[in-house]
Amino acid sequence: MCEAVYNSAISTILTPAISALRALPGLRLLPLFAALVGLAVSASATDWNGPEQHLARKIVAVTGPGAVALAIENRSSLGKRDFEIIQNGLRSALDGIGMRFVKAEQAAATVTISLSENPTSYVWVADIRQGAGESAVVMVSTPRPEGLTAARDSVPLSLRKALLWSQEDPILDVAVLEEGSSPSRIAVLDPEKVSLHHLQGGGWQQEQVLTIAHSRPWPRDLRGRLIPARDHLLDVYLPGVICSSTAALPLALSCRESDDPWPLIAGTLNGGSLSVFPSAGLATGAATIVPQMKAFFAPQRNFFTGALTPGVGKFTTVPKFYSAALLPRDKYTLWLFAAVDGQTHLVDGVSDQAAKLGWGSDLTSIRTACGAGWQVLSSAAVRPEDDQSEDAVRAYEFPDRDPVAVSAAVDFTGPITALWTEAKGDSAIAIARNRETGSYEAYRLAMACGQ
Amino acid sequence: MKRIVWRWLAVNSLLMLALAARAETRPQYGGTLHVAMRAAPTSLDPADGTQPDSFVRRNLTQLMFETLVTTDNSGRAHGALADSWQASATSQRWQFHLRRGVKFHDATALTPEIAAASLRGANPTWNVSADGESVVIEREMADPEMPAELALARNAIAKRSSDGNPSGTGPFHTVDWQPGKKLTLAAEEGYWRGRPFLDGIEIEMGRSFRDQMTALELGREDLVEIAPEQAHRVSLDGRRLANSAPMELLALLFTRDAQRAEEKSLREALAWSVERGSIRSVLLQGAGQSTAGVLPSWMSGYGFIFSPNADLARARRTREQVRTIPTWTVGYDSGDAVARLLAERVALNGRDAGLTLQPTSTATADLRLVRIPLASADPWIALAGVASAAGLPVPKNEGGSVEDLYAAEQAMLATQRIIPLFHLPVTYAASASLKNWTLRPDGSWNLADAWLRNSKP
Repeated sequence: MCEAVYNSAISTILTPAISALRALPGLRLLPLFAALVGLAVSASATDWNGPEQHLARKIVAVTGPGAVALAIENRSSLGKRDFEIIQNGLRSALDGIGMRFVKAEQAAATVTISLSENPTSYVWVADIRQGAGESAVVMVSTPRPEGLTAARDSVPLSLRKALLWSQEDPILDVAVLEEGSSPSRIAVLDPEKVSLHHLQGGGWQQEQVLTIAHSRPWPRDLRGRLIPARDHLLDVYLPGVICSSTAALPLALSCRESDDPWPLIAGTLNGGSLSVFPSAGLATGAATIVPQMKAFFAPQRNFFTGALTPGVGKFTTVPKFYSAALLPRDKYTLWLFAAVDGQTHLVDGVSDQAAKLGWGSDLTSIRTACGAGWQVLSSAAVRPEDDQSEDAVRAYEFPDRDPVAVSAAVDFTGPITALWTEAKGDSAIAIARNRETGSYEAYRLAMACGQ
Repeated sequence: MKRIVWRWLAVNSLLMLALAARAETRPQYGGTLHVAMRAAPTSLDPADGTQPDSFVRRNLTQLMFETLVTTDNSGRAHGALADSWQASATSQRWQFHLRRGVKFHDATALTPEIAAASLRGANPTWNVSADGESVVIEREMADPEMPAELALARNAIAKRSSDGNPSGTGPFHTVDWQPGKKLTLAAEEGYWRGRPFLDGIEIEMGRSFRDQMTALELGREDLVEIAPEQAHRVSLDGRRLANSAPMELLALLFTRDAQRAEEKSLREALAWSVERGSIRSVLLQGAGQSTAGVLPSWMSGYGFIFSPNADLARARRTREQVRTIPTWTVGYDSGDAVARLLAERVALNGRDAGLTLQPTSTATADLRLVRIPLASADPWIALAGVASAAGLPVPKNEGGSVEDLYAAEQAMLATQRIIPLFHLPVTYAASASLKNWTLRPDGSWNLADAWLRNSKP
């Protein structure tokens, strides 16, 4: 009778995690414990009283008050704790309207309550059997809460991620505009607008929304950049469209169709541009001077065409690529391009060396006070054979032309959709789509030395 | 010390690189996707009622056409060609505001007049009109399921030209159409949701499951259908499989109403005699779920109430109330490889209960083994779809409660025209180069976001 493949309870998924909590000592499980407690508290916060009373009244309308044999089973994703709460609530509700609970042989009726569910609601079904084969079915439904998901564990990292922003619409880029010990004013780029937020009273307050005007449909896998500017707040680069904000408040955004190249270097690393922020975290105060580099983005696609300006040495064109990173050397700058053919091209101005590094499409570089001073951050799938795998980002250094992993991988809850170096150069913005919630999350990635 | 550290890091990196041999990459543009299917539709018009409903037909429609509304995996409605809508208090009048800037493949703009005409063509009994920038639908009775109904493929908006060829607004447009044989599609460059990653899709029709699998193994196809009973074996071969939720109802359908009480008893006896569990294990190789209800439990939340377990003793007792036992012919589709075996097994179970059943592949039969694709993940629409396919009165959602749904399903079963047997998933196998292709629980593809690895961008 029961093949509840689509009704298997989530409690069976949570149980191993709780067992692991019991079995493994140590404070490192505290975050997991806190998440589980939070989940339990959150789940238990649901008020089940209404459907409990409703179902109890429906049952008594069939059986009348008296002695019944009651069984309650869980066929839903409700956890053990909620199941117990509902079980007690139903018994109490039935008791309150004249039901007495006895063994089956003493009962005038047998009532089996199944806590089930469909995609939108919890469905509680009472199968009532009275006398010789008489049976009746009554049921109630109550909406299922959305977004109740288990938290993921985290591990100690040398590459640290800090959540900056989360929203349901795709995030293309986030720029930190002001910060003290932590970001206090940010700009968030999504397909249709730039929204400005500032920190107030411990929470983000929306300051202004600037709509992006565009006449053509955006390409799929839309990409975009927010670049803080010298004489105005910021520039926005989107496929075939470039927007510039005004300098004075309230801000306005002026957009135009343009195939102008996008800067590959933003902020303090670019000697020809403005340092919006001090180079926080660098061992030396001075910013490295790196020649500006721009690349043309295909207006109807998700990649750069390969045309560079001014170019890397003799190369003004490289293969089409998704992303680029630079590594300054003593006498030259080594550029890495994540090409659309899956290869990584190492271009030093004299040679173009293609390598199959097995990296993902997104790479960028940061200048830090750690290790060799420059690290390349690259995305990759956590489970390469699984199309639905989450992504991770890892830091590498290039003592020569071979990458050396210098950090543990930082896991995300879904695919990385953007990885850009921040304007100040020592950290990066990683955008990931959370596979569990479907929302987009923007993180700041920064290296912590000596971990 | 430093050298040791670098060596360790280098070895570690090489190991990591080996593990990451197929790292995540951004979607790549380009390439032609090759798809094979068993069905052989002869019309691409979404509203063409002469074509049998199938998951494949719905998926073809969604490649070229779009609906005003779509539903997500939970059955919730979201805007598509309509970006907002509102209903009257009685849910009899619905107003859908059209998205601006959408164009058909022939470059004409989507207008409320075209959308209204399209919906009238698909639903002759509806009162549909254009009102400013919106489409208004008025029904004689309350229709709270209207958004979910509009999400059905048959309600996709099509602009019909004088030559009868429909044009859509979907992510792909038709390049070549050989009815029942082959369909060639190309990416729509100006598609309002963004050009698909694939350059094109070639769909071969009327191919047997075996031919499809062979073509996949030879690298000629990228996406093929798998018979549910073959899914287990194919998965053991290491193939990439995707299953929908159990969305297809396999049932016995009597071709007419029971005329007398004795006939009803015999039908009840047949329903109790079918050993669904063993049939599922042996003939269906464990695929799907046994059922005695019309709607799967994952959709209704109460399907387990209808016990699918055989009760031979009860079947015999019920049959013994009848003196004269007629011989029933059980029809099956001769093109369906497993249907004959299922019909024979049902006949065998019936004989154990004292019934006489004769399997036949001819067109006329007393009852038929049928496959009914559930129309939607919305339970009311799915139930209505089964009723329509079975020639039964279509239930109306007037109360909207799960108890009303249960009552409607129970009433349908009480007609004894239909004996549900199994709910089966739709299964596909894909080549390793097809990326980001997803099969939704309702069996629909999402090929606009799919891409082919190593295709030339």
